[in-house]
Amino acid sequence: MMNIANLGQFVIDGNEPGVIENVNLLVAGKADPITIINEGLLSGMNVVGEKFKSGEMFVPEVLMAARAMNAGMDIVKPLIADNDMPSLGTIVIGTVKGDLHDIGKNLVVMMLESAGFKVIDLGIDAKVEQFVAAVKENDADIIGMSAMLTTTMTYMQEVIKACEAEGLDVQYLVGGAPLSPGYSEKIGAIYAADASGAVDTAKKLVGDSVMKEVMFA
Amino acid sequence: MGKDLVLKTLRHDTVNEVPWVPFSGVHAGFLKGYTAREVLTDGDKLFDSLMEVNKIYTPDGMPIIFDLQIEAEILGCELLWAEDNPPSVMSHPYAGELEVPCKCKIPKATDGRIPMVLDVMKRVKAEIGDNTALYGLVCGPVTLASHIRGSQFFMDIVMYPEYVKELVGFCAEVCNAMSTYYIEAGMDIIAVVDPLISQISPKSIESLFLEPFQAVFDLIKSKGALSCFFVCGDATPQIEVMCRTNPDGISIDENINIYEAKKITDQYNITIGGNIPLTTTLLFGNQQDNMKFIVDMLDNIEHHNLIISPGCDMPYNVPIDNTVATIQAIKQTENVRKMIENYEAVDEDIPVDLPDYETLTKPLIEIFTLDSATCAACTYMVKGIMLAEEEFGDRVEIKEYKYTNKLDIARTKKMGVKHLPSTYINGKLQWSSIIPSKQELIEVVGRCL
Repeated sequence: MMNIANLGQFVIDGNEPGVIENVNLLVAGKADPITIINEGLLSGMNVVGEKFKSGEMFVPEVLMAARAMNAGMDIVKPLIADNDMPSLGTIVIGTVKGDLHDIGKNLVVMMLESAGFKVIDLGIDAKVEQFVAAVKENDADIIGMSAMLTTTMTYMQEVIKACEAEGLDVQYLVGGAPLSPGYSEKIGAIYAADASGAVDTAKKLVGDSVMKEVMFA
Repeated sequence: MGKDLVLKTLRHDTVNEVPWVPFSGVHAGFLKGYTAREVLTDGDKLFDSLMEVNKIYTPDGMPIIFDLQIEAEILGCELLWAEDNPPSVMSHPYAGELEVPCKCKIPKATDGRIPMVLDVMKRVKAEIGDNTALYGLVCGPVTLASHIRGSQFFMDIVMYPEYVKELVGFCAEVCNAMSTYYIEAGMDIIAVVDPLISQISPKSIESLFLEPFQAVFDLIKSKGALSCFFVCGDATPQIEVMCRTNPDGISIDENINIYEAKKITDQYNITIGGNIPLTTTLLFGNQQDNMKFIVDMLDNIEHHNLIISPGCDMPYNVPIDNTVATIQAIKQTENVRKMIENYEAVDEDIPVDLPDYETLTKPLIEIFTLDSATCAACTYMVKGIMLAEEEFGDRVEIKEYKYTNKLDIARTKKMGVKHLPSTYINGKLQWSSIIPSKQELIEVVGRCL
């Protein structure tokens, strides 16, 4: 029988047929679907995130790994009731208005999903109203915004102001080539340098809000 | 002469100064009040803007146009235009089947915006080409391949390496055609701009892209021009393999530690250019930040085989005075070091008596400069404002305060002057970095009489 821990290596290698074959074997062997996800697919993807952060893996290899992981997810997800799907929190994400660059944002989406977040992806050219509506509809914890241009990054502040005006209890995670920690702080957001950093920061943000709820309950 | 300085630096000769090459792409238009789209599509406006760059920023070398979408547009990509940025690629004509464009699609000199670019190159060459090194920028083969194929290109690298080799081979031929046109139009240096290189593993670059890049740089050399490899993003792991593509220079952005990168480029005797931070320093910093960045950099790096440039294409609305401060720091490093020391040493309490602007007997025009003797923008500001004296004689009073002495720095601080050069009339800011036309000057001063 296939070992769940080895499944992670197929993900790391971006071996989609290997992942499909072995997830099917595990399912046939009555392995717990949530364990397949957590200890096989997601743990493999976490290693990918670390290797991307440390410069051992690059965009092509990360995309291949994500593709392989998603193929495994497609098999396992129908076996799990919606409420049982592990979720660290909900993130609404998009490349902001006027900006069409989405390679980085797509990587962040994959990494966040791999880490166990529910991600609502607004795609490119995302406008204030879309962010506000998606946060309300999904009771999101975090808004993630990406920009590749110095001119479009200023739109992030408009999104933040609109959410504050609506009284939404949400935190802001931003990234993209022209962003910096200093600028992000100025607009009231937290900066993530890369996709792995986005996951670490998102976990921290969600953890912080859980702590707040506990403290002020 | 600036041009010789750049050429000698790229030929790895010993020179006495570090050359300055501002990448004023769409920012060139900002200097003349034109939009990004206007300077990237209208030859006359582009030419005017480049003349302004040459006048105000006194570059040793400069690019003619910074738009990585020129080739992609000809190959069928739809573009989304912006008024304050270069356009973005919206569609990818080869996103479907694994198909390589026919060689008949290699852009001709008459296609798309190339005729406009070539015309401007020839005009700029005739006007300033004896003194300023001119850069022709071509879209690198990997970025061009991703433009026409879309983001699927990244997975192709792993799944279909032979296809990727063929596609990038085609794109390298596009580079060769563009380089040839630009060299024939008088460009001294061809920069192959390939930002996506930072996203691909050195191993993949080595196995798939090394040869096409070498072929591109070889062709440039064979035509008697010099070459540069521009990259964006954190290309620290890729610097070594980039060196092995054999360009004369490599230009990097602020994501890379230039001190460490230079150790590698020096091993290959390749000139390195960079890497003024585009946003934190040039766009959002102040003049002191820009001066400090340059002085620190020049203090901590070996000057041989070095060009100072912004990290990449300058944002459209970089404050002009920030670039002016940068130039001053490169060309008058010792004076600027003194300015920074004085600025930091000057106490707000140095006694400065500001005039009682409400009770002046005649208009008082005060020009605050870095130093009009050495800073071109300041010189033009002072010359421009002095036309008021020609027009109105002793009915107006004009004073210049320079940032080279403590008392004037204290006055500059007390007045709350944020940008140099700036002109105040009767204590109120009138022109900041922008030099008024004679007509505007006379109208504004005339109203104060």
